[in-house]
Parts: sequence; structure tokens; C-alpha cells
Amino acid sequence: MAWITKPSGTMKIERRAEPYLTAEMRRDLSERYLPRYERKMGALLPALHMVQHAYGWVPFQAMEEIAAFLEISAAEVYDTASFYEEYWLKPKGRHLVSVCRSIACEFCGQTEITEAVKAALGIDVGETTDDGEFTLIELECLGSCGGAPAILIDEVLHESVTPGQIPELLAKARAESNGHGHGHGHH
Amino acid sequence: MWQPKINAPVLTKRIPTPPYGNMRDRHVVSYDEYIKTGGYVGLRKALSMKPDDVTEEVKKSQLRGRGGAGFPTGLKWTFLPKVEEGKDPGMRYLAINADESEPGTFKDRLLMDFDPHLMLEGIAIACYACRLKKAYIFIRGEYHHQAKVLENALKEAYEHGIFGNKGLLNGASNWSVDCYVHRGAGAYICGEETALLEGLEGKRGWPRIKPPFPALKGLFGKPTIINNVETLAHLPSIIENGWEWFSKQGCNSTIGGPPSWGTKLMGMSGHVNQPGCYEFDLGIPLRTFVEQYCGGMRNGKKFKAAIPGGVSMGILGTDQYDAELDFDIGRKHNVLGLGTACPTVFDEDTDMVAVARNIARFFKHESCGQCTPCREGSGWLYQLLGRIEEGNAKTKDLDLALEIATSMGSMPGTTICGLADGNNWAVRTIMNKFRPEFEARVRPTFVPVRVTVGAGAKG
Ligand SMILES: Cc1cc2nc3c(=O)[nH]c(=O)nc-3n(C[C@H](O)[C@H](O)[C@H](O)COP(=O)(O)O)c2cc1C
Ligand code: SF4
Ligand code: FES
Repeated sequence: MAWITKPSGTMKIERRAEPYLTAEMRRDLSERYLPRYERKMGALLPALHMVQHAYGWVPFQAMEEIAAFLEISAAEVYDTASFYEEYWLKPKGRHLVSVCRSIACEFCGQTEITEAVKAALGIDVGETTDDGEFTLIELECLGSCGGAPAILIDEVLHESVTPGQIPELLAKARAESNGHGHGHGHH
Repeated sequence: MWQPKINAPVLTKRIPTPPYGNMRDRHVVSYDEYIKTGGYVGLRKALSMKPDDVTEEVKKSQLRGRGGAGFPTGLKWTFLPKVEEGKDPGMRYLAINADESEPGTFKDRLLMDFDPHLMLEGIAIACYACRLKKAYIFIRGEYHHQAKVLENALKEAYEHGIFGNKGLLNGASNWSVDCYVHRGAGAYICGEETALLEGLEGKRGWPRIKPPFPALKGLFGKPTIINNVETLAHLPSIIENGWEWFSKQGCNSTIGGPPSWGTKLMGMSGHVNQPGCYEFDLGIPLRTFVEQYCGGMRNGKKFKAAIPGGVSMGILGTDQYDAELDFDIGRKHNVLGLGTACPTVFDEDTDMVAVARNIARFFKHESCGQCTPCREGSGWLYQLLGRIEEGNAKTKDLDLALEIATSMGSMPGTTICGLADGNNWAVRTIMNKFRPEFEARVRPTFVPVRVTVGAGAKG
């Protein structure tokens, strides 16, 4: 949980002219999400999900845009965005490989899976490959304990994986981004 | 020998599950299939009753929450402010807990994977009975597929007069309910009911100090009921068949406590031959579950230990293989409770120090950081257990770890939510039930011994 924060007083925010929160996203938020909640801030998680999904991370400028749109302060958006692990405050690879390290998975062979991914990508847990294709993380229980060890590649779950399957699964993900780019990785 | 009391599955009626069906035949149940197989009959019956009578039926069924704490559902509903008949109670909410993140737990997922209308029917019944106007399904962020299945099912339910303006069966009941999917974003703590409400409000998932309780002041400050997915999925059959029917499943307490009626989804993981999510009467012994339904222990190994239902519950020792999975398990077998009833089983080769370290790491990672005993204690415990695992700790560190565990959870009022207590129970019961394993990993603490060299010592 992200309750340890870094001093940010001297941080410079990178900006671009084109807004991250596109007209289409604003429309979707106004029509679909805002009416659902008693207060506008209720739509904050959906808004952050949209940005995360479209860009693969949540830039500070996008947080400011969301704040203006929901009529809350940028600090409130940052407070929420920094708490939830699914929101990336720094760019990550085009594909996210998440290996479950919780109880059922660790004791059903997870460490070998992590090692296989590390070897296949040449990176450590928490790192991104030089070509920006893959980021590897370990996270807690994915709700697939009966299919341990379980990994999530982007939004697709794989159960009872063996180290031998890893290269193929990674190649498949890579091929997908060559085909029709998942919308991620505009950085 | 243990015998099932049900002869047909209840929650998994449409989700083929051994011994009643083959897991390979599982598929998403559409609205049409749901209706053809008796769906929304419970809701129709509920709508023909007075809301308070529906609540009364649920109270009599003694249905206990399936989210982990086992709190009686009907009783929880009565904590809402009373509504006079025909009067508008103002905004009131239902929050459905689909955050399912307790390690070892994968049961709500089964319902959302395959039979989403069962929980939607439960939601409709709960909202009618409790006079709730909006329902939010708070689903964990990693359940991408399940969120899509739910969105589709909701669309069908809106189209067929369950939800929306002309809802609760085409406007016949003078009550309408809106229901939405709200995706979480990777935070175990949002499964705690008040943290979940914060997440719905767009805030960080920090549990709230209680009182006020959510039934009086919950989401956006309005009366709110929070129920688990599986709890709600029980409602249609209870209303359709009555509480007496429900009371014939599951078991009664053998120690004078409230009963454990009904069936329960139980996801088995760990070192067994056929892991997976099954449905049984509450009260099935762990041994029967493993040996009879999961093909026994993997590779012919012996049973060593099990977590009864999520890591927060602590551990069942080698001599507790016969523990019955019901709501008495906590008092009978020195664990925190039944939890989610999704056991993780370990064989004889398992390193229990590593198990404790894995769990301690989980809690350190997931502590939300509001309360000092939890934030600091979880970090210290993880460090200590890591040192023990590596062989760099001393005997006195075992007592230190136990002292930290006990002080961060057992004392009422030291922390805001139950996460710290789960951490305490997990670490404490593993260390106590497998003490020799921990002792073998530490270096004896140096105790100075005074040697008296008396007369004649030299000679
Ligand atoms: C740290 C923590 C995590 C929890 N996680 C969940 C969860 O993932 N799902 C759930 O249904 N209940 C969870 N609970 C229990 C809820 O707080 C609450 O008791 C439950 O959702 C109530 O529903 P029920 O009465 O229908 O079981 C958690 C509790 C704590 C303290
Ligand atoms: S007990 Fe732990 S998780 Fe719960 S509110 Fe306190 S710090 Fe947060
Ligand atoms: S422990 Fe890995 S999916 Fe649950």
C-alpha cells in the first residue's frame, strides 16, 4: 500500500498541449459515470481507470485534468491515485506481467515462474525491458488459487502455468502489440 | 462418515461442479437460460410479500455473512433506520462486496464467472426488503473478465425489468433500483466494508472509525448495507423455499452457538490432487473435503497443515485435519474463524517458517498505514520472520515476534479494522502450532553461565 510518499515540493510536472482526458472520455464520464454517484468524486476511480487503460499510466497532467473535470483538487486526485496499485504514476512497459506471490501460488511453484519470466525478459521484478515492451511485477492473490501458480498478462489470466510455458505466453503478448497495439505505451 | 444433506447443489445449480457435474461443462448462464431454469422466481415471491416480511424470513434463516465475519444478515438489515409504510426513506444504498482479495479465496469469482444473475437476483431482493435505491457492485480491479460478465448480465436485467425506472419486474412493485459495477484498483483493504465505501466515494481505501455504523451513516453519509456476493446469492433460494428448507442444510452448533445452516462455496487450493471451487453443506470435515472430493493429497504426501479460509484466519495444525468447516471452527480449533471457507492445504514437505513469512509479507504490503500498531507491527513481523527463515535470528526473537503479533491485534481498540488481528492470528497460530520448526531455525540466545572453579578443580 502506498502510504510512504516522496517529497514532491521540487518536482517539475511535464506537460503537453494535447489533453490526456479526451473529449470522448469526458463524454463517457458525463453520460455514463457522473449520474451514478451522489458526488462527482465518486467517478474518480472510473476516470483514473480510463486514463490508465488508454496510456498505460496516469501522468500528473492527467490528474490535474481529472481534478478540474470533477471539480475537486489535484491533491485529492493524487491522494487516491497514489493509494491504489493498479494506477501507475510512472510509465511502464507496453505489457504488464503480474505474477501472484501469495500463499497458494508460492507453495505451488511461483518462484520458478518468476525466475522463468526474469530469464526470458532479462529483467528483475519491478523492472521494464529496454525496448519498453514488458514490465514484470509480483502481486498478491489473484483469486485463482485453485489454479496456482497464476499469472496475469495485461488483462488475461493464466492458471496452472509451468516455467516452460512462459516464453510462449510472452511471445503471444508481444505479437498482439505488433498486430493492433493495445492502446498502451504512448510514451 | 460425513454425509451431505443436500442432494442437489444450490448456489452451483447452474455451474456444473463435482460431485453433481463436470467442471468442463461450465459456461456463462444468460438471462434466458437463467429464467428457464427457475431464475427470478425468488424475486417474484419476494415482491408478493411485504418488505419487512422478506427481512423476517432472512432473519429466521439465520443466514450468516459469507464474506468472512459470519455476521447474521437479517440482523444487519434491521440496523437500518425504520421506514414507515408508504413513506419515502430518502437515499439508501447497497454495496456488494466483490473485492475478494483474501489470499486463498476464489469463490465469489465462480458466481461472477458463470451465473451472474443469481447475485443480481439476490441484490434485487435485498434492495426490495431493505428499501435501498442504488446498488454498487464493488469488484476488485483484477477481475477484468468478471466485470465484463456482470456488465452484460446487468444490461439484460435492465432490459427485462429487474433494474432501472421500470424495474423490479416491470414496475409492478412500486420500487425501483439502479445497479452499477464499480471497479476497484488493486487494494486488499478495500474488502473491509468501510474502506470499500471510501473507494466508492473516490477516496483512498482507509477504513473508517466505527461508530457510526454504515447502516446509519455509510456511503455518502447515507444508510448503507454491505453484503458479500455469496451472501446475496443465497437469498433467492431462501425466499423461494423458506427458512425451514435452509435450516435442513449445513449443521447446528455443537457448542451452543448459533447454527451454521446452508451450503457454502469452498475453494480448495494447495497440495491436493483436484483443487477447485466446490459447494458443500457447512460442517464438512476438512479431511473428507480433501480425501473424498479433491482426490487426496498430491503425490501421496501426508497432510501437514491448512488455512481454513484465507490467511487472516490462522492455521489448522497436523492434528486438526478432522476440523469441521463451520462457524464453530474458531472456538473449537483455535483459529480466528471460518473466514471465507476456502482452505489452502499444505503437505508434509512444507516449510512452515516460509508460510509465516509469506503471510507476514502480505500483511505488511496491504496494511493501509492508518494505525501505528498495524503499520509498524506488520513491518517488524515480516523482518523478524525473514531473519528466522534465513537462520539469522536468535531464540529470543521468537518471543519478540509473538509479543508483536499479540500487541498489534488482540487488544480491542488498538486498531481501526480487522486486518491487524488477521495478521496476529496468522503469525501467532503458525508459530505456536509449529514451534519446534521455528526453534530449529534460530541460534540459541547466549546465556552467560558462571563456572565455579572450586578447590581441587585442577587436580
Ligand atoms: C481486512 C479485511 C478484508 C476484507 N475483505 C473482504 C472481501 O474481500 N470480501 C468480503 O466479502 N468481505 C471482506 N471483509 C469483510 C467485510 O468487512 C464485511 O464483513 C463483509 O463484506 C460483510 O458482508 P457479509 O455479511 O455478507 O459477509 C474483509 C474484512 C477485513 C477486515
Ligand atoms: S488495522 Fe491496519 S489496515 Fe486496518 S485501518 Fe488500521 S492500519 Fe489500516
Ligand atoms: S494465491 Fe495466487 S491466486 Fe490466490
